[in-house]
Amino acid sequence: MSSILKITEKRPWLAWLIFLVTIVVVFLLGLLASSIVERRAEAAYVNVPKNKITEFEPRNEVWGENYPREFQSYYETSDTLFRSKYNGSAMIDMLEEDPRLVVLWAGYGFSKDYNQGRGHYYAVKDLQNTLRTGAPKSATDGPMPSTCMTCKSPDVPRLMNERGVAQFYTGKWAGLGAEVVNPIGCADCHDNENMNLVITRPALVEAFERMGKDITKASHQEMRSLVCAQCHVEYYFNKNIAEGANYLTFPWDKGMTAEEMEEYYDDMEFADWTHAISKAPMLKAQHPGYETYLTGIHAQRGVACADCHMPYKSEGGVKYTDHKMQSPLNNVANSCQVCHRQETATLIANVYERQDKIIQNRDKLEELIVRAHVEAGKAWELGATETQMKDILMGIRHSQWRWDYAAAAHGGSFHSPIEIGRTISTGITIAQETRIKLARLLADLGYNKEVPYPDISTKEKAQEFIGLDMEKLNNDKQEFLKTVVPQWMKEAEEREKTYDIVANK
Amino acid sequence: MLSKLLPPPKWRFPVLIVTGIFVGLIAFILYVSKAHSYLSDNPSTCTNCHIMSPQYATWTHSSHREVAHCNDCHVPHNNVLNKYYFKAKDGLRHATMFTLRKEPQVIFIHEAGSNVVHDNCVRCHSKVLKDPKLAVTVEGHNVHRTERKCIECHREVPHGRVNSLSSVPNARVPLPTSPVPQWIKEYNQ
Repeated sequence: MSSILKITEKRPWLAWLIFLVTIVVVFLLGLLASSIVERRAEAAYVNVPKNKITEFEPRNEVWGENYPREFQSYYETSDTLFRSKYNGSAMIDMLEEDPRLVVLWAGYGFSKDYNQGRGHYYAVKDLQNTLRTGAPKSATDGPMPSTCMTCKSPDVPRLMNERGVAQFYTGKWAGLGAEVVNPIGCADCHDNENMNLVITRPALVEAFERMGKDITKASHQEMRSLVCAQCHVEYYFNKNIAEGANYLTFPWDKGMTAEEMEEYYDDMEFADWTHAISKAPMLKAQHPGYETYLTGIHAQRGVACADCHMPYKSEGGVKYTDHKMQSPLNNVANSCQVCHRQETATLIANVYERQDKIIQNRDKLEELIVRAHVEAGKAWELGATETQMKDILMGIRHSQWRWDYAAAAHGGSFHSPIEIGRTISTGITIAQETRIKLARLLADLGYNKEVPYPDISTKEKAQEFIGLDMEKLNNDKQEFLKTVVPQWMKEAEEREKTYDIVANK
Repeated sequence: MLSKLLPPPKWRFPVLIVTGIFVGLIAFILYVSKAHSYLSDNPSTCTNCHIMSPQYATWTHSSHREVAHCNDCHVPHNNVLNKYYFKAKDGLRHATMFTLRKEPQVIFIHEAGSNVVHDNCVRCHSKVLKDPKLAVTVEGHNVHRTERKCIECHREVPHGRVNSLSSVPNARVPLPTSPVPQWIKEYNQ
């Protein structure tokens, strides 16, 4: 007990030693503790984003500072060099390619101008450029409603938040000209806090609700398609939901096939327009890309849109999602060949084979519908009555809807060749049945011979045939692009300057 | 015996203070280094050091995420003693390297660790080596398994080939947050 005392009494230096050693050990322990604290604090600097991205931040450049790879690959959607056999990222004047389209859409905006779309980067620009949106001179002018803007920009969730959804759908598109300026981008699909995928457009959420499904329960893999399905789907503008609003609605209540959506539209007696020649109450299919994809083998095997259109990419040691959404035919190595071991040329040939075979019959159907429109026009000319024409007009409506469902689904002939083939074949049957009725009616009206097929060999001739004044449309558009659009861009720039983070453009 | 270690009565007070400082410091070190977490099998323990972020991130994006945690592959499972012996040995080495800042930019597994991983591959995937119903696979593996390790061929399972902090710039990893308790932060505000 008193031994230590005795030892140190005899050797006082030992007491000093114990004292000093204690100091050193405590000092070293302190150093170790501060080293641990320091190294632990380093974690606070790992993967810290550069900008704080606020909710509804519409500017892709601001997000891009945090995620430069994704941003840069996204801006590659400005590339217009790739052209596949039928589509690609180049702008193709489809009316020039196939002037019969002008007759199919007579009386509707698409007969004025219809192009194979360019990449997401051009979403806003191409909306302003197309003749379909006219040349509005004021905020309340022009042929198209504000709803047309819904899919064009990450400014849309911001505006819907500021103004309310129904209010957003109210008015003309020109009213939003200075507000919707950033092309489709980050905030359309991503949560600003954690970059999770999110559904920002109410139409998809509402469609899911009406089908009794909860979109928030979707898995990550489903979300990798559903964010695309916010826009790449069939839709229409419902005027009965909110007063004065063109409420964006997906017609999925009865199902997603051409027949089921047709029944939905027939039940509500909806028509997009009345055909200028045949007077048929027409439906315009938008782009039922998601609906048709779901019926194909890739969807059935759990492959998402992003797996092929935004495949993973390696850059240096970093693997990330390629945000250049494009045709997988321009990136076979990263898309198809991740699963399929065949040569690039073989895989592309497989795609073209399906497209070629589908288009054979689609082409035939297209010709039959043009003939039906012209024959119906002739019947009206010869004094046919509405009762006589009723079934015929419904036949034209149904057959062209099926043709359009197949054509506007763009990738449909590859995504789901069986469903598209089936839809086209039912369209051909309806078109021919209708033309038999037309032949009988024409005979009753004293016209028992073939109705001559119009000369619609070029876009110009076809537009003249349906009576469009293209020169005026083009001149007005040029004037609009020169005077109105630059004014919008200036206003938008001023507005964005007031935001917290100023993007370096 | 114990009483011999106790200091004489007039020394007791200073010795009590000094021992308190020791114990307090050690307790603090255990706390900031999250020492208790090393007894668990939780994968977020491995990201106590932020330099393990790439390994964590690649694993959470792999199919193994659903079935295997870090310890399922990286420590032996032949018996409990060996498990904790290896874990302590490997862990202390990691801690030393990390403290001395000797860690490389790109971390590769060492011989001892690689042997453990190999044994664990076999532990779960023994069917592809033995089950006669999988004759083709068994035949294929038979040639190699005696002299080679699984990861010599299956090199990208599950972490990919090369990992460094700069290869996973946006990974969401459960890194340790500030050790300062919330109530102090609130008090400071």
